[in-house]
Amino acid sequence: MKRSIKIRALLIDKMVTVKCIISHPMENGKSRAGNTGKRIRPHYIREVIATRNNRVVMEAFWGASISKNPYLSFEIPGKKGDLISISWLDNKGASDSASIRVA
Amino acid sequence: MRRRTLLQASLVQTALLGLVKPVSALAAYPIKAFSTREIPAALGELLGSSDTIDSDLIDIQAPPIARDARVVPVRISSGHDNTESISLVVERNPAPFTAYFRLYESQNYVSTRIRLNESSDLLVVVKADGQLYASRRRVRVGLSSCEA
Repeated sequence: MKRSIKIRALLIDKMVTVKCIISHPMENGKSRAGNTGKRIRPHYIREVIATRNNRVVMEAFWGASISKNPYLSFEIPGKKGDLISISWLDNKGASDSASIRVA
Repeated sequence: MRRRTLLQASLVQTALLGLVKPVSALAAYPIKAFSTREIPAALGELLGSSDTIDSDLIDIQAPPIARDARVVPVRISSGHDNTESISLVVERNPAPFTAYFRLYESQNYVSTRIRLNESSDLLVVVKADGQLYASRRRVRVGLSSCEA
């Protein structure tokens, strides 16, 4: 599977700013396919979990009003070398995760 | 069956990377809160109450007029000590409850991008020390961008 998460971690004064973009259609079930006019079924990320050194630091529940190819940023205390991981799970049971070391 | 395959694929992937797949400490996905039009009911399900105190310590940054209603950047900072969670509600969307962020360390900032159905107040509810604090910011959707 092609990696779906781009992740960056920037350390400034003992705080790590994590930024990520996830490739995902985030279909809210309201739009229609251009060629057939059929409604496209809802397909969206429901849960995002962020860890630092395998400890959960943030968990999110999302609805379908998050934009396509979701952007997420947050700040956590941290230091150089910390391992930051992001994982997501969508309403069809698909998931992915990615990690980065704080430089 | 498909689901199991995906799960296994993902476990193999994380095992290869030497990662432990994190297990959510939260309850199951609150499908009702994310599908109801009733904002107090959604807040009640996720936060245990819908009684909020208006706060000027919550900073919501969003464009006053959205260029593209499908991609509206929102940045939220809570000035309340011991912020446990940040919730984002788009009051005029058909399913208003949009995002719930549970924060486990001394954190007070999240940012994402959201879809607006029409011009709306964004309601942010912060839970800190067991109390719910609320703040709002208006985002207008321009005529040129109403085909969301």
